[in-house]
Amino acid sequence: MQHVIIGNGIAGVCAAEAIRKLDARARIVMIGDETFPPYSRPMISHVLAGDQPHDKLPIRSTRFYEELAVEPLLGRRVAAIAVDEGQVCLTDGTRVAYDRLLIASGADPRPLRAEGMELGRIFYMRTQAHARQQVAALEGARCALVLGGGLVGFKAAYGLLRRGLAVTLLISSGYPLSMQVDPTAGGMILDELVRHGLTVEVGVSVRAFEGNGTVQAAVTDAGTRLPCDLAIIGKGVLPARGFVPADRIAVDLGIMVDDHLQTSAADIYAAGDVAEAVDLARGCRWVNALWPEAAAQGRVAGFNMAGRPVVYPGSLSRNVMRIFDLDVLTVGIANPGRDEGCRIVTDGGPGLGYYRRLVLKDQRLVGAVLINRIEQGGVLRALIDNRTPLRLPPERLLAPNFNFGRLLF
Amino acid sequence: MKQVIVHPERCVGCMQCMLACATAHSRSGTLLAACQERPRPNPRIHVGAGRFNEGFPNRCRHCDPAPCQMACLAGAIYRRESTATVLVNPDRCINCASCAMACPYGVIRFHEDPLGPAGWAIAIKCDNCGARVAKGLIPACVETCKTGALTYEEMDDAMARKTRAVARSLSAPDRPAMPAGVVLLTSIKQAEMQLGER
Repeated sequence: MQHVIIGNGIAGVCAAEAIRKLDARARIVMIGDETFPPYSRPMISHVLAGDQPHDKLPIRSTRFYEELAVEPLLGRRVAAIAVDEGQVCLTDGTRVAYDRLLIASGADPRPLRAEGMELGRIFYMRTQAHARQQVAALEGARCALVLGGGLVGFKAAYGLLRRGLAVTLLISSGYPLSMQVDPTAGGMILDELVRHGLTVEVGVSVRAFEGNGTVQAAVTDAGTRLPCDLAIIGKGVLPARGFVPADRIAVDLGIMVDDHLQTSAADIYAAGDVAEAVDLARGCRWVNALWPEAAAQGRVAGFNMAGRPVVYPGSLSRNVMRIFDLDVLTVGIANPGRDEGCRIVTDGGPGLGYYRRLVLKDQRLVGAVLINRIEQGGVLRALIDNRTPLRLPPERLLAPNFNFGRLLF
Repeated sequence: MKQVIVHPERCVGCMQCMLACATAHSRSGTLLAACQERPRPNPRIHVGAGRFNEGFPNRCRHCDPAPCQMACLAGAIYRRESTATVLVNPDRCINCASCAMACPYGVIRFHEDPLGPAGWAIAIKCDNCGARVAKGLIPACVETCKTGALTYEEMDDAMARKTRAVARSLSAPDRPAMPAGVVLLTSIKQAEMQLGER
């Protein structure tokens, strides 16, 4: 049996480990664009912030491929999949045959169309190489521009603030993380960032970058010049599926997978940021490009590829981050539409040092936003994950003494 | 292999296990001196109030596979197979709280620890008292529990005992599985709570 895994991110790594756990002899080939040892992608924001050194990024042994007896094809990109021949075609012309294929190619930064993108010190934020370049560019930099107030842009802005730069964040909604948190929590996060020196521009987009070799200013749609010594573009990610034949493998935003993470094509699986499974809170298909989901999906896909049927129940958006003195934990749906019939209970708020908001639908928890006192967030996450019907009044979940014991009996 | 087994129905909420746990994870190892230590040693077992305000000793289940281990961004959480214990490597932990999101029991805390790196917070959880067990002692929470809510034994033995107790209580209704006093106390508490909720 020959397994081929496209991608050496956490989904691909976990899949290889799962296959090897069940099958000591199967041939496993991993095709990866990045040549660095398997590392923790979310930690690159900690490297930018200066909390962690770059050499702490690897989370597997440097001899990972040897120890797992995986044949790595690193620094190579996939051009196409020949579904009928059962082959993966690389950009250098090589063809790799597979019996079972996993597409775990991850995602690429959403590109920005602007003039002057070739200037130095304009970065995306996705790989360890980006983090290394960003840290190198910090020297002598005084002011920075971050485009996008989603998870990537927010973490970039936070990291640069921690480095002592004057940071301007360009966002389209009134507060950062508008997909993850509600306006109250968003306001608390914004206040905390502004208190530490962040400048926020709402509803501004960049038309061009100016500079002499390296970036010196950005020009907005309105024609305003925003001076900056470096710029980070964090406008989210898009599934990296350009090589996937859409006429043979069903795609939506990501590659559509069933509850065993198999695509519409036989023997081809997908996992991680490129895969589109069912979102447990929303009850519909959704790409949750998140590291813990990628790890879990890789593992399940690996077991299925190795012949042990394992069901993947669905993904769930979740995030936890520390922002100066705020601990923020969000899971599931934070901002339900008015017509979705959700009930919302809240406690705390600005000035009280904590905030919690629960979103309920049909006696089940479907979303939660916590600011500070986040230790019990995993219990709430499990209630959403398992779609557990609540037997106690939702206000009890908000109480400071809420703990797992409250759910028993 | 012996492990700590929780019998929540026997817990009276005295929190002695929390004190014993914090003491066992202090630098000095004695309660009086541990109270003076900075950073303050904190318990890794958490007695919360249950649905009817009964005590509920909540500690790490050392799940296999462990959700916290799979969610750990820094690769800091690992399993020691020989003792079936899920542990946090303090030198790798980046205090990101991803494990708090993953843990369905809410038993992980984040703070500076007397036995961890100085000056920064890390994830702290039950370590099955590995240091004590290596010296031939039993876990501190079990040693101090006066009501039998925490026991240290083979899981199979505990299961067999529980099965027998349930069978006995069904076949001989005049001999309840729980002491009469505990049953009375529990039912009074439950009635109080239910009246209060109306």
